[in-house]
Amino acid sequence: MASTRVNRRMGRILAMAGKEVLHIRRDIRTLYLALAMPVVMLVLFGFGISFDVDHLELAVVDQDRTDLSRELVRQVTASQEFVVVQDGTSPDEAVGALRKGTAMSVLLIKKGFAGDVKRGGAQVQLLVDGADGNSATQALAKAQALVEMAGRKLGGPVRVAAPPLEARVRTLFNPDARSAMFLVPGLAAYLLAIVAVLITALTVAREWERGSMEQLFATPVGRLEIVVGKLLPYLGIGLLQVLLVLTVGAWVFDVPVRGSLVALSLGSVLFLVGMLGQGLLISVVTRNQVVATQVATMTSVLPSMLLSGFIFPIENLPTPLKLISTLIPARYYVATLRGVLLRGNGLDVLWPQLVALALFAALMLVVATRRFQRRLD
Amino acid sequence: MHPLVVQYRAVVVKEVRQTARDRRVMALITLAPLMQLFLLGFAVNFDVRHVPTVVVDRDKTAESRDYARSQLAGDTLDLKAEVSDELAAEEALERGEASVALIFPRDFQKDLLRGEGAQVQALVDGSDPTRSSVAANAVAQYAVLRAMQMAQAQAQAQGETPPRSPVELVPRVLYNSELSTSVYVVPGIAAMLLLIVTTVIMAMGLSRERETGTLEQLQVTPLRPGILMAGKVTPFLLIGLVDVGLALSVGAWVFKVPLRGSLTLVAVATLFYLLSTLGVGLLIATVSRTQQQAFVGGFLFVLPAVLLSGVMSPIRAMPDWLAWLTYLNPVRYYVEVLRGALLKEAGLGDLWRQVLALAIFGFMMMAVASRRFQKTSA
Repeated sequence: MASTRVNRRMGRILAMAGKEVLHIRRDIRTLYLALAMPVVMLVLFGFGISFDVDHLELAVVDQDRTDLSRELVRQVTASQEFVVVQDGTSPDEAVGALRKGTAMSVLLIKKGFAGDVKRGGAQVQLLVDGADGNSATQALAKAQALVEMAGRKLGGPVRVAAPPLEARVRTLFNPDARSAMFLVPGLAAYLLAIVAVLITALTVAREWERGSMEQLFATPVGRLEIVVGKLLPYLGIGLLQVLLVLTVGAWVFDVPVRGSLVALSLGSVLFLVGMLGQGLLISVVTRNQVVATQVATMTSVLPSMLLSGFIFPIENLPTPLKLISTLIPARYYVATLRGVLLRGNGLDVLWPQLVALALFAALMLVVATRRFQRRLD
Repeated sequence: MHPLVVQYRAVVVKEVRQTARDRRVMALITLAPLMQLFLLGFAVNFDVRHVPTVVVDRDKTAESRDYARSQLAGDTLDLKAEVSDELAAEEALERGEASVALIFPRDFQKDLLRGEGAQVQALVDGSDPTRSSVAANAVAQYAVLRAMQMAQAQAQAQGETPPRSPVELVPRVLYNSELSTSVYVVPGIAAMLLLIVTTVIMAMGLSRERETGTLEQLQVTPLRPGILMAGKVTPFLLIGLVDVGLALSVGAWVFKVPLRGSLTLVAVATLFYLLSTLGVGLLIATVSRTQQQAFVGGFLFVLPAVLLSGVMSPIRAMPDWLAWLTYLNPVRYYVEVLRGALLKEAGLGDLWRQVLALAIFGFMMMAVASRRFQKTSA
């Protein structure tokens, strides 16, 4: 008896899923977009996001015009960290270039530089456009080191004793310091969050808008069955996306998969269920596609980018945002992916993240199903 | 009144009523960008501080303890725990509990006092390259500093003048002398939010009319397609201008973004920019049959446009082929105008190229979109 009831229930869920698959097939363009988008974005982001700047545009104002001053400029620009975009201009013109944005730093060598070098204690000035604080900090540090080195050469052979103290730094997990290694796992989570929440929010909101949801309620299908049936096909699409993103990550960016595949798949399924549930909840509450997209953007797309540790480390966030970030499932998924892909972690290390993902998924499904019921009455 | 003006006014009134009727949509297009500005302004921060660090002290001498204490006194590294050996340290890094391990080998003090190449070792978690390079630099620089202090102390003890560098660099930072991140990021975010709101809402709004069939009803009226489109765009143009005003006020008030340059220049650039973003929205609507397609299409444009604009990461850090692509992106020019005008007091003389590019984009997008629109309506 019980088994026939279960069978019937399974049948109804599969029927719902089948109906959803038909919807998806009828609108095949959206499916293509949903699969192509993460791959295109992954390639663009992987190449496009990098915070290591070189080829910093330098304007040179050389008022000394001696061999020594020219040698200093040569030394500073030899490594291509700075590239001369303007030479022999007046200080005013150089500052104009900073304002226009054609140069980001100005090296100012005053008259009498060569004499000062020979006496020891010459000074050169560096003007930096501080608007982009991150690039400016790097420019300052690089210029400091380059001028220091150039100075030693210009000042003639200085007796330099072997340093009595040395720091030896070894970098684990990503020794070449490639941004893509760090970004790809976070990006995978971000793209999944976008696609899962938005696509579900939109498809279900469409049924409300068109009134076909009421027709569904008139059938003997229960609300839990509607929810599960509707989510199943999208879970399949989401898992396909995970595979696609990881394959492209491994193939284009050499991102390894070092750790436990069990943790990886478990984390992906739990995360996807949570995000799909969230999308469903949004659509149940808003019942309007335009509003649903905006709410989804605010509650999932942006937090998944900003509060998940994808680009900006969580420990740098101000405390209120840090607290909010504990409610963002992408945070736990990003941690799981980085753990598995880069650090080779297994379930023993990652279980707290997985528990958090499971809790979120369960919560979303329960709340979404309950909201469904209230609307029926 | 000219009949075209009457038509235009009728469409604008209809469009305003339709938008204002759904209060949630109104709230979303005005409040949502502000909330996002808050969130982003506070979250976006590139400073690396308080990196969790474990210490392995195998020397356990006064020198090693003092070294560790002074190194960790800075802002960059924070002591998380002391562990017994390298294995435990590596494990802490693997688990993500710490990102740096500072290791003092046995005989650290002995080597140091004899001047025989004493070594501090550090293990750094490289998953986040920005963070790991800052942490590694902090370790390396502190060693140099410490060595210099020792050399100076030695020289002084022997009555010599300590050696100094023959050339010294005197840096001066213009425009954002505190090197604050939010001052730089907030104008970029304003441009990004404007793009998201206008492109996506325009595209979805029009496809919604197509989906529900009201677009057909409009097309059988004597309205000219061009007028219909102009009327549809106008309210969003105004909303966009209001959004920019709000974003800049919040930026100035909360994040201390200076408003140095000409606001007229900013307003003109915004107008051209909105023409391009709304034009793209219209274009997307003409090629989509459903709201869902319009939305996905909008997103497919918005994400790369944001990425390749210099809002998130500097354009000069991109590979050349990507950097070239940014020239085709109106967001890039708008962000340059905003940052230039607001932070550097740049005027039209400095920014005319960007403004011109925005104008070309704006009118081109509108022209292409209206041609497509007339074709699909015909």
